[in-house]
Amino acid sequence: MTAITTGDHLVIRVAAGDPDRDPSLSTAGFDGPIVNVGPTGVPALEPLIAVTAAGRTALYTHCSTADLESITASVEETGDVDGADPDAVVSHAPDRNRLPTAPLPGLRAGDRRVLGACSWRRPTSVADHKAAGGFAPSDAETVLTVGNSLNGRGWGDLCQDDPLAETWRTARATDGDPVVVVNGHGSPADTLLLSSAPFEVLDGASVLASTVAADRIIVYASSEDDNAVKTVSSAVDTYPDPAAPMEVVTGPEEYRAAEPTMAIEAIEGNHRLEARLRPPGPERVGLDGRPTLVHTPRTLAHLAVGLREGIDEQTRVMTVRGDVDSVATVELSETQKLSELVDTVGVDGSFKAACVGGRFGGITRDLDVGIGVEALNNADLGTDGIVDVLSDARCLVEFVGQRASFAAEENCGRCVPCREGTAQLASLLRNVYDGEFDAQAIAELDRVMASSSICVFGERAGRPVRTAIEAFTSEFKAHAEGRCPAGTCLEPLEA
Amino acid sequence: MSSENPQQIDAPPLTEEIAPGTATDPPVGSTDVATVTVDGATIDVAAGATLLDAIEAVETDDSVPALCSYDRQEIGPRSECRTCMVGTDEHGVVPACSFPAKDGLTVQTGAADAAEARDVNLDLVLSDHNLRCTTCGKNGRCELQDAAIEQDVEEPRYGVLDDRDEYEPIDDSSSFIQIDRNKCILCNRCVEACNDVQVEGVLRMEGSGQDTRIGFQSDAETMEESTCVSCGHCVTVCPTGSLVEKGIEDATTIPLPGFTQKNSVGKTDESTGTSKGPMTPKKRTEHTLETPTTEMTDSPSDDGISSDTWDDDQSGGDWL
Repeated sequence: MTAITTGDHLVIRVAAGDPDRDPSLSTAGFDGPIVNVGPTGVPALEPLIAVTAAGRTALYTHCSTADLESITASVEETGDVDGADPDAVVSHAPDRNRLPTAPLPGLRAGDRRVLGACSWRRPTSVADHKAAGGFAPSDAETVLTVGNSLNGRGWGDLCQDDPLAETWRTARATDGDPVVVVNGHGSPADTLLLSSAPFEVLDGASVLASTVAADRIIVYASSEDDNAVKTVSSAVDTYPDPAAPMEVVTGPEEYRAAEPTMAIEAIEGNHRLEARLRPPGPERVGLDGRPTLVHTPRTLAHLAVGLREGIDEQTRVMTVRGDVDSVATVELSETQKLSELVDTVGVDGSFKAACVGGRFGGITRDLDVGIGVEALNNADLGTDGIVDVLSDARCLVEFVGQRASFAAEENCGRCVPCREGTAQLASLLRNVYDGEFDAQAIAELDRVMASSSICVFGERAGRPVRTAIEAFTSEFKAHAEGRCPAGTCLEPLEA
Repeated sequence: MSSENPQQIDAPPLTEEIAPGTATDPPVGSTDVATVTVDGATIDVAAGATLLDAIEAVETDDSVPALCSYDRQEIGPRSECRTCMVGTDEHGVVPACSFPAKDGLTVQTGAADAAEARDVNLDLVLSDHNLRCTTCGKNGRCELQDAAIEQDVEEPRYGVLDDRDEYEPIDDSSSFIQIDRNKCILCNRCVEACNDVQVEGVLRMEGSGQDTRIGFQSDAETMEESTCVSCGHCVTVCPTGSLVEKGIEDATTIPLPGFTQKNSVGKTDESTGTSKGPMTPKKRTEHTLETPTTEMTDSPSDDGISSDTWDDDQSGGDWL
């Protein structure tokens, strides 16, 4: 099978995140090259049809089967890629192996390197990935050198925001055969990579396994992410010469199941998930007592792409959602700002604030903040790669109250600062509605949850509240006086 | 036990089917002998020691309750209550009971952030405990009570569990062991005693968040229905009045007429009074399987189990 990214022949790509909406099945009459590619990261564009020939690509968004038929008819008739009123047309090198940027929501900015394969190469095509430079072996020293300057991505990563190589050296030096766990649970960016660019992820896992002499690679994902599980399972089956046997294991969809030690518990088959004590961390004593590296698909894809292309200029894969025109997972240069991320889609309403860094991210009014780890840390924001945009129709007290209630309901129940602390935090926020806004008590509880919880779930559960009080003190005071400036709080914490 | 027979080593362990619902923690002690400094005093500790071992060896500046710690008979550290937080120069605030005593560590029990964490966490423990000491059979010999007294808790900042609608019924169904989950601090000692020491596989941790509780691996609802063999080990390790031996469940209550443990909680699961036959229901099932009868009748333990009744009767159910 030849790669679809080589040569200047005609290719019609159909990208659909939801396989049930894939219109390509009923085009049996067309004899041109129609291929299924993985999702783009921007569900609102899908099903997305991209017609490419001779260095030009016409993009047709939100297509039905009838649209596909009329597009193929037009291509057959005219030989032009853009004969059926496309939503965007872009020019590029004929042998381009990544989806080009295009003037469409979520695709209009960025630097798609880690996400390059998404919607451009067939997710499980060995030929396509090979043509893009994939499956390249790397020696351990090169991998460790890249790992010195690469940080783990996302809260499911054992090395979130920390350089990777030191942990890898520890696992390699520890007695026992190491295990590499690809933790694809929970984050939209990681789910996207597993569904749309699984070979990039498996490349990273394989070179890492060879570097630390691991004899097992486990891809772990939520049992509810059907498409990701199906696609990565098929990629595992077709992966040529992995450094260690690969398998896919699913866990429950609960948010907490992405925490690295709970991921290990789920893989071991425990019926109830709770965090493990550390130190020693999983890199010393992990799955079945063996040294275990738990990294997100993002981390491993960055490793694979970094090994091919260098890591002087790094990117970050981020998902913007909430009050935006369309949810999008995009890839931006680390030097870019949160405002540029939000601009790739556009705010639905007028911008009020953003919760930056996932479920327990930080609240900010200011989007003039870099998306790199240091800039986000300095602003007390999170680095998980998920930004929830809040328009001025939103009440911040209500929003952080819901986050606190979520923490109280979804924690594993093991340690007191998290189990009881989140319940008391939600209760202190309810007191605001009864006229009692005790900022000091909230701050004290948040400090103790952050300093004494077993895992990052509890350490960060108070961050939305802490940062919201900082940025929106007047809203909390107004609620204590019986007034909701946004006018949304009737049954705020019951929602 | 025939552990000396090398042939036995490959046999599946007794614990294979035991599912306590808890995480498999790594060994948390130090890997080697170490010298650490606690509040200025230098202490040598053996390999496998935690910072709590070092702290217990000296007179510290601040008291460190380490409420949930048991740390003997292979029980613990669970490190769930986090009332053992101490300051270190090298790693900031850490839980002493489960942090390795690494050579050269410097510990301050009086560090302000650690002291705050211990106090807040103790109050968080109390926030989910019905502080009905006067009708509790462990009054005066309760580790939570001791810790609260020692830490000068006068009024817990988050209050105590005092909402009768949220109370769980007292499980008074067994003839030997009573469970009052309203007093449970989820230290997990009973689960470890039952599974790791006695290898009985009866108790487990179940649920999550505020629904986390001690339950039964057999999915039984009450102690009577469970596969408990009444060894009593769980009772001996329980730090509070959550698991007590029947017959002395009111041993240390304040004798105020009209006030009892049962009416202070208000709901009780009583014994069904049915004969159990062989010692455990598990064995009874095996027995039934060996001698199948053609006419199946409802198992006596299947009906009328959970009498979630308001009951002021102090009798401990029907004794066999």
